[in-house]
Amino acid sequence: MTVKKFYVHSIIFLSKKNYDVATASDGLDGIKLLENEKSGFDLVITDLVMPNISGIAVISIIKNKFPDTPVIAITGWGEHPEALAAEANVDAVLEKPFELSELYTMIKDLLST
Amino acid sequence: MLVPFVGISESIERIKELVAHVSDTGLNVVITGESGVGKEVVAQNLYHSSGRKDKPFVKVNCAALPEGLLESELFGFEKGAFTGADRKKRGKFELANEGVLFLDEIGDMSLNLQSKLLHVLQSGEFAPLGSEREMKTDAWVLAATNQELNEKVKNGLFREDLYYRLNIIKIYIPPLRKRPEDIPLLIDYFLEKYASQFGDKRLIKPDHAIMDRLISYQWPGNVRELQNILKSCLVVGNWEEVINELSFKSEMVSNSGFVATGTNEASIIDDLLNFQGENSPNHAAFSLKKIKRKALDRIEKEIISHVLDQTGWNRTKATKILKISYKTLLYKISDLNIKPPPDTSGKISS
Repeated sequence: MTVKKFYVHSIIFLSKKNYDVATASDGLDGIKLLENEKSGFDLVITDLVMPNISGIAVISIIKNKFPDTPVIAITGWGEHPEALAAEANVDAVLEKPFELSELYTMIKDLLST
Repeated sequence: MLVPFVGISESIERIKELVAHVSDTGLNVVITGESGVGKEVVAQNLYHSSGRKDKPFVKVNCAALPEGLLESELFGFEKGAFTGADRKKRGKFELANEGVLFLDEIGDMSLNLQSKLLHVLQSGEFAPLGSEREMKTDAWVLAATNQELNEKVKNGLFREDLYYRLNIIKIYIPPLRKRPEDIPLLIDYFLEKYASQFGDKRLIKPDHAIMDRLISYQWPGNVRELQNILKSCLVVGNWEEVINELSFKSEMVSNSGFVATGTNEASIIDDLLNFQGENSPNHAAFSLKKIKRKALDRIEKEIISHVLDQTGWNRTKATKILKISYKTLLYKISDLNIKPPPDTSGKISS
């Protein structure tokens, strides 16, 4: 599945599960979205490899500014920054390819704790 | 003193935004872009907008020093650590503690030193040469390169783990030719800046025609080249002389690739030396005098061809520009084997 398709599928899937989903195309836009959303986000899902602000940086910034917001990192085949994500205190890592149901289970688990 | 990052292009605006958002994170940054685009200026801007601005900004050029020397520069050494170490020296990681360590030309760092750098980035600790004691460092590491690090990773010349650890934040600065809208602003900024340095020498702002030429020029040396050109214009006192040279240079590049980058220079040298032929260094006929003659012939040929092209092969006009006699021009055309382009051949009359 291409990145774009994956995002579209995820958004449709999560919206069907009654989550409000906001998206950003790279790390910088993601951070701006987080800073500008007054009511905050319950959970963040991020890719690890992204232009400008990488997923690792996104996780570090979130954990610094919004320590209670859980973060799921998604990593592609052949990428090895998982150790860095763990160092940045990511809550969960999901390796591509995965079923959307796996993502859903992960979200439910993180939001219930 | 902080040098502002001047520009209004979308990419520069985005970089300014990025700097504002990451300067207080202390996360590793890699700044990429061609030579002369302003990678150090971005590093300085990150430093000045961070909470570390009152602490040291320490720069190390990883390409300028041989491996052993770079290692002792980075980590320092104890007295007696090696022959000649007659006193203790503090390394840049120690000097940059709580401040910024700017590692320029990181792509040129040896694999051996890369692993030592990785260790510091992972643990925040390093040991000076000859010391058994690990020291703590809280230096914010900003790295810069004009090389494609991911390509170097693929070719086994850059450690993948270090690549990921450095690439936490990536700032790419596009070349000046990709953001021509920034050129007028940069010109205004530098002219203002240099006005005081060049005393009374003031340069009137470029008119539309000159600005068009400045904007359409490719700027292979990017902002650094623009700065040098502006300084030359200030010294000469007018735009035309320097700009004409610039236009000539860019035409030469686009027409023949003659005035050009390192690779082309290398091929010109190969060509002039003609290692396989009579100029082979092992050949009895090899001589610097011959090569000089050949190089001069080649430059003469390029210049005469260019002037003839510009005058539509009007040889009388060309002799006036070149300040040579008509007879000499005819001789040069024949001797250097200069051929008119096919579409103007019919027009040769004079």
